[in-house]
Amino acid sequence: MKFTTILIATSTLLHGHGVDQFSSSQLEEPTPEVTSVPVTSEDEAPPLIRINSTVQSFNAGQPWQRNSSKNRRGTGILISPTQVLTVAELVADQTFLEFEAPDSSDRVRATVSIIDYKSNLAILEPANTDDLGFLGELSPIELGEPAAIGDDAIVWQLEYNGTPLKTKGLIRGVDTVSTFLPGFSFLCYNIKGSMQSSSSSFSLPVTRGGKLLGLLTAYDSDDQLSTVIAPEIIATFLEDVGDGHYDGFPSLGVASEPTEDSSFRDYLKLGDEMGGVYLSRIKPGMGADKAGLQVGDVLTAIDGSPIDRRGYYEHPSYGILPWTVLIRGEKFAGDQVRLEYLRDGEVKEVTATLTVAEDPLVPRHIHDSAPPFLIKGGLVFQELSSAYLRAYGENWTTRAPLDLMHVLHNQKDYEEGRERVVFLSRIIPNPATVGYDSVNSQIITSANGQEIKDLKSLADALAKAPADGIHTIGLSDAPHTLYLDAQLANLVDQQLLQSGLPMLSRMSEDE
Amino acid sequence: MRLIPAFFFFASLIFCSAETTTANSTPPPAAATEANIFDSVLRIEVATQVPDYRTPWAPGGFSGGRGTGFLIGPNQILTNAHVVANARRVLVTMRNSSRKLPAQVKYVAHDCDLALLALDDPSPLEGLLQLPIGEMPALDSEVRAIGYPVGGDRLSVTRGIVSRIDFQAYSHSRVDSHLIIQVDAAINPGNSGGPAIQDDKVIGVAFQGLRQADNTGYIIPTPVIRRFLKDVEDGRYDQYVDLGLSHFSLFNPAMRKALGLPDDDKGVLVTSVLPTGACDGIIEVNDVLLSIDGKSIDSAGNIEVDGELINLNEVVERKFAGDKIALEYLRGDERKEAEVTLVTVPATRIYGVRYGERPRYVFYAGLVLQPLNLNVMSAHRIDNLNVRKLYADYLDEGIFQERPDLVTITRIEMDELTSELNEFKKTVINTINGTPVRDLQHAYDLLYAEDAPEFTVIECEGVSRPLVIPSAKAKQANERLMQINNIQSTHYLGK
Repeated sequence: MKFTTILIATSTLLHGHGVDQFSSSQLEEPTPEVTSVPVTSEDEAPPLIRINSTVQSFNAGQPWQRNSSKNRRGTGILISPTQVLTVAELVADQTFLEFEAPDSSDRVRATVSIIDYKSNLAILEPANTDDLGFLGELSPIELGEPAAIGDDAIVWQLEYNGTPLKTKGLIRGVDTVSTFLPGFSFLCYNIKGSMQSSSSSFSLPVTRGGKLLGLLTAYDSDDQLSTVIAPEIIATFLEDVGDGHYDGFPSLGVASEPTEDSSFRDYLKLGDEMGGVYLSRIKPGMGADKAGLQVGDVLTAIDGSPIDRRGYYEHPSYGILPWTVLIRGEKFAGDQVRLEYLRDGEVKEVTATLTVAEDPLVPRHIHDSAPPFLIKGGLVFQELSSAYLRAYGENWTTRAPLDLMHVLHNQKDYEEGRERVVFLSRIIPNPATVGYDSVNSQIITSANGQEIKDLKSLADALAKAPADGIHTIGLSDAPHTLYLDAQLANLVDQQLLQSGLPMLSRMSEDE
Repeated sequence: MRLIPAFFFFASLIFCSAETTTANSTPPPAAATEANIFDSVLRIEVATQVPDYRTPWAPGGFSGGRGTGFLIGPNQILTNAHVVANARRVLVTMRNSSRKLPAQVKYVAHDCDLALLALDDPSPLEGLLQLPIGEMPALDSEVRAIGYPVGGDRLSVTRGIVSRIDFQAYSHSRVDSHLIIQVDAAINPGNSGGPAIQDDKVIGVAFQGLRQADNTGYIIPTPVIRRFLKDVEDGRYDQYVDLGLSHFSLFNPAMRKALGLPDDDKGVLVTSVLPTGACDGIIEVNDVLLSIDGKSIDSAGNIEVDGELINLNEVVERKFAGDKIALEYLRGDERKEAEVTLVTVPATRIYGVRYGERPRYVFYAGLVLQPLNLNVMSAHRIDNLNVRKLYADYLDEGIFQERPDLVTITRIEMDELTSELNEFKKTVINTINGTPVRDLQHAYDLLYAEDAPEFTVIECEGVSRPLVIPSAKAKQANERLMQINNIQSTHYLGK
């Protein structure tokens, strides 16, 4: 199955994840004749807004510069007098953003108000709230109720000339899909309906009964299936935003494995009729950990909904869905859940409080924040992120440096004494680095006798020249230590600045 | 750069040998020496049985090839290891003869690509010249390569000059580097094992070519040949010895200053010492190596021998296990001297291609366990990150001391007990029933223990749940799967 986003060819992130998810989605029959669905108030076009976004991400290997810019065009929808809802993917890493009237008669500078990369949702606002431009003439749409499988919905596009174009579709199934960041799957509708791909739009609003139902993130033209972020996710997002402080979607802090293997089931003393997922990791400090769950426990039910051996539960109207929907969907940080689990053959029950997961040691993504770096004597240091490793391109898992890949996959082995993993990402050859050309992609352990817990601590350690005038930088591998003439290093750095390097360091914005 | 062993496989042999017997012109008397030399160059045909590391219990693939060898002593025929690797039958044919003489591989050295053969009945060799082994040829001097390469059935002679003398990779094992002579004589498949001659003496054994360059042939020079012949004098071949340390060039002025070294371009920094290796317990990481056997080491790790700069590892090239090497080094401010005794570290062979060995394995309830090595890595195309990391760290981190074998689940045969175990495929076993696994024998003992617990629990590197097999059901699963897959034994643990 091939997914194509309607406009952005670069959105490879949408591929793959959705595929497995679709296979387990349930398809309802019989299929009613799509065109025969009576049209009611939906004849009236919703408040559609064109969004023009210039996206420019940073160069992973040379973090002081950005990659070449790309222009993206998408569609948003007005949800309050000043708020436009769209997908995060459209505006991540944006450097310029504007609203455009459907007929292109007016443009308004816009900013990102709230963005959630995991659920792929963003709220945009006019840059100057005193000047709403054409937005002032539109009436915001309300968020509607969840639909049922078999219901119809309308997908909205804008023709080049500004005419709204509507496509009726049928909700064929509900599943969880990661629509943007890999590894974060959220409730989505699968809507069947033939769409016009020539009419360039992206992040298409979907309505039902004159109210907003969801946002379309991907369309597969072979199967005529669209992936639409479900109203429950949008509602949770908007409610979280509404209290003035956006927390984000919560999680339980566990990793789980199915228990289909019958020998494994016997070993875990799971009865034939019992379901549940094996907890293979418990994240310290999060809900499950605080509630006393341990690796090896089998999670059998959440809030009274039994989990089956593959990790699914029965949703009252959508049918069979992954258990994560019980956590990452309609719940907020601070909410409590009742967990039922099996330990040593005994069923137990606890209450856990949900929290929002902190960034892992190796952050998954660095959107809208420039990657921190530090240059000293031509040595370039960065904080490891999976975005850096992914920048090795196709087959990055085998092409990226093995030791750094190992950090990504075994983060807890590197957590002690570290907030971030600082590594030497490259050496700009110069007189101070003679003989160091073979040293690359090594983790920095210390500098001038200081332990390195993040890039800031490295910058601090290298800030002043040591007594003997030589910086000492500890490495994870041969030659174990690099020595840098402090005076020469400063001279080299000044020369680098003169030769066009814009800056010698950039520290992370928050923290 | 891709080196190709100049070995000629039957698959590409399309020439007919019927005409060879018709040629019988007698060489003129002046060329008598030439004829003698030519007569001592022998054609070698090999039938091989190549072990299949994908299916370690199977006999492997039957194939064959052709190469060259030459007489160097009484019933001593020198050729390349890659000509006779995995051989199950070796036949030698003399010049102007059709008789195929059965031969045996007496010694084979895969780390320097040399082998010594002997005829079952040496009488046909009587009267043949035993080619004398010469010295290193001079750069730009002329050499002849003699052998039985592709392009015809009879003896071939090509001529060229010595283009380069270098320390380079030997492609047969993929991990070894030794002295090499590059010539511009054509060395083609089938030439392998043939002599390179200068002044009626052997100056090397032709052994590999370069695929993307013309007229680039490589020859194993006589110091390497002599070392091999000396090694086998005691009746067996030991492998090359190694200093067992890695070093880092000391070019950087700040680094030199910090280490208290003068600006004299001398010395290299020791960055790792191989556990159980020659320098283990004597040299430490961060020592600065100053001289080896009295020869001063420069900051790039080179020493001067006969006016040429060569890598310091060359010093141990001619040495044997038990030989001693004098080292001078700096620890902190202190100048120290030590004598180290060279040893072989068999664990280093995990990174080299293995030949002529029956693959070791254990079969248990559908799981196929094999010790990790280069053959297993490439046969099963293992790219699992955690396995690659263990493999990379095996030697340097001294993992081999605790775990001589990295026991890997290479295959899982589908059955009732194994249908949900896909995530364990191509992972390394850490423990069985809580006991850390040392090697394949240990894994076998644990899995097939008389008093196995109700559930056999296997923990694998990088997999977040244990693999569980109900011990009582393993026997039945074995019977079923071994019959289907025609597996004769639950294990082969080596000799």
